[in-house]
Amino acid sequence: MTEEIIIAGFGGQGVLSMGKILAYSGLMQGQEVSWLPSYGPEQRGGTANVTVILSDEHVSSPVLNAFDTAIILNQPSLERFESKVKPGGTLIFDGNGFHKFPTRTDINIYRIDAIEYAYANNQVKTMNMMILGGLLKVRPIVQVENVLKGLKKSLPERHHHLLSANEKAIHIGMDLIKKIEVS
Amino acid sequence: MKKENKENEVRLMKGNEAIAHAAIRCGCDGYFGYPITPQSEILETLMEVEPWHTTGMVVLQAESETASINMVYGAAGCGKKAMTSSSSPGVSLMQEGISYMAGAELPCVVVNVMRGGPGLGTIQPSQADYFQTVKGGGHGDYKVITLAPASVQEMADFVGKAFDLAFKYRTPTFILADGVIGQMMEKVVLPPFKPRWTEEEIIAVAPWATLGKPAHRKPNVINSLRLEAWEMEELNLVLQGRYREIEKNEVLFEEINCEDANYILVAFGISARICQKTSELARAEGLKVGLIRPITLYPFPTEQIKKRAEQVKGMLSVELSAGQMVEDVRLAVNGKIPVEFYGRMGGIVPTPDEVLQALKDKLISKN
Repeated sequence: MTEEIIIAGFGGQGVLSMGKILAYSGLMQGQEVSWLPSYGPEQRGGTANVTVILSDEHVSSPVLNAFDTAIILNQPSLERFESKVKPGGTLIFDGNGFHKFPTRTDINIYRIDAIEYAYANNQVKTMNMMILGGLLKVRPIVQVENVLKGLKKSLPERHHHLLSANEKAIHIGMDLIKKIEVS
Repeated sequence: MKKENKENEVRLMKGNEAIAHAAIRCGCDGYFGYPITPQSEILETLMEVEPWHTTGMVVLQAESETASINMVYGAAGCGKKAMTSSSSPGVSLMQEGISYMAGAELPCVVVNVMRGGPGLGTIQPSQADYFQTVKGGGHGDYKVITLAPASVQEMADFVGKAFDLAFKYRTPTFILADGVIGQMMEKVVLPPFKPRWTEEEIIAVAPWATLGKPAHRKPNVINSLRLEAWEMEELNLVLQGRYREIEKNEVLFEEINCEDANYILVAFGISARICQKTSELARAEGLKVGLIRPITLYPFPTEQIKKRAEQVKGMLSVELSAGQMVEDVRLAVNGKIPVEFYGRMGGIVPTPDEVLQALKDKLISKN
């Protein structure tokens, strides 16, 4: 199995760390992984994205033109990446601030309003974990226990007391995500 | 101080971080550098690990790239394993020092994690320093051995290898990477720990090193200046002799899907990874496309490319530049078959399908 994922949003939304946690989770379950960030001026406030590949085989190119799954957290990223989802693939978006919505009918589209929820419940720092939870609900590519193992591995020890908050956020995300039918 | 983890553990890290850990583990004596994107994690990681507490390795942020390379020069003159790293504009600043080190027959490792140029350029990935590196970026007739890693694992493996080659041939050796390989994370197993050389070991490996003059020999002098022309020619002949040895002994390359190929892509670093996927996409369409990946850019795998030119209908050199390595591919092929070029510049990285389309447009459709 190979899962080719793009995660895109604004710098500061935790896009790169979400990708990192996914990559670590893949590592924990013995998969081949690659994590390729956009490290340009984007990370200073514009759009940021990361390509993550989890595979049972050797990963050839970390640079991709099409994705099995796209996680989209802002409008410019939707415009850039909706067309890059492979037919039959998955697009997950947080609709916060969107004025145009996904239109493709040949892919599975899910909406997760994690940004709104996180702000309303004062849980902004775990917003990206809610989105990751949403992803795992509809595409269980890694097991939650491996995500937690990966988190433990990638977080410095001084942050380990936050692990349970992150686990909760994953489950919140699993409840928040819903399928969208494009007519 | 951050703990160094278990041996043989599979870790996830950036190419730049792998370089730093590998440097400590291969017994490097000193790193001198100045931060620049996209390779700042090398210096940052070294500062975080603090190897001066464990192996005694010196890590120093110099005041500039010019200072860094001259600190490397000084350390190398004492037979120490010294290295620096930078990205394109910073490496341009180092060229004088590199030429001096070539002239003074000094080993060192220079890592260039290339970004888009010319000038201050962009911080995004590029491979446009191929000419600068393999054709001699500084003045005079010299060459530097150039290793081109295409994975995080190779970033880790090539540091020790680069030092071995540098000392074997008394020459600066480059690790020529690009922003993608530096910034991406992959699985990596770090090389085992090797202690730094003792003074006795240095004298055995590098009898030319300036470590104090014993009574039985003349002083060792490290210098690239020869006022007499005949002496300068003599030095040049020594260097050229070494370059011929390097060309004979040290060529490294990888071939993927070449056995039955009708077309071959030639690419190094991140471009080679992209082209590997292009080859997979092509084969899914029934097109027999292979890949030659030069691992050493100098010495270049001229003979292998020449051999494959007997078999295939055309080659496409794929680079993040306006077309540099393609000249060496053409020299190797020597007009036998068409050699075309596809590349993107300024920090743009092409996708695998883009390369496949270029291959179709430039070669396959013309046959």
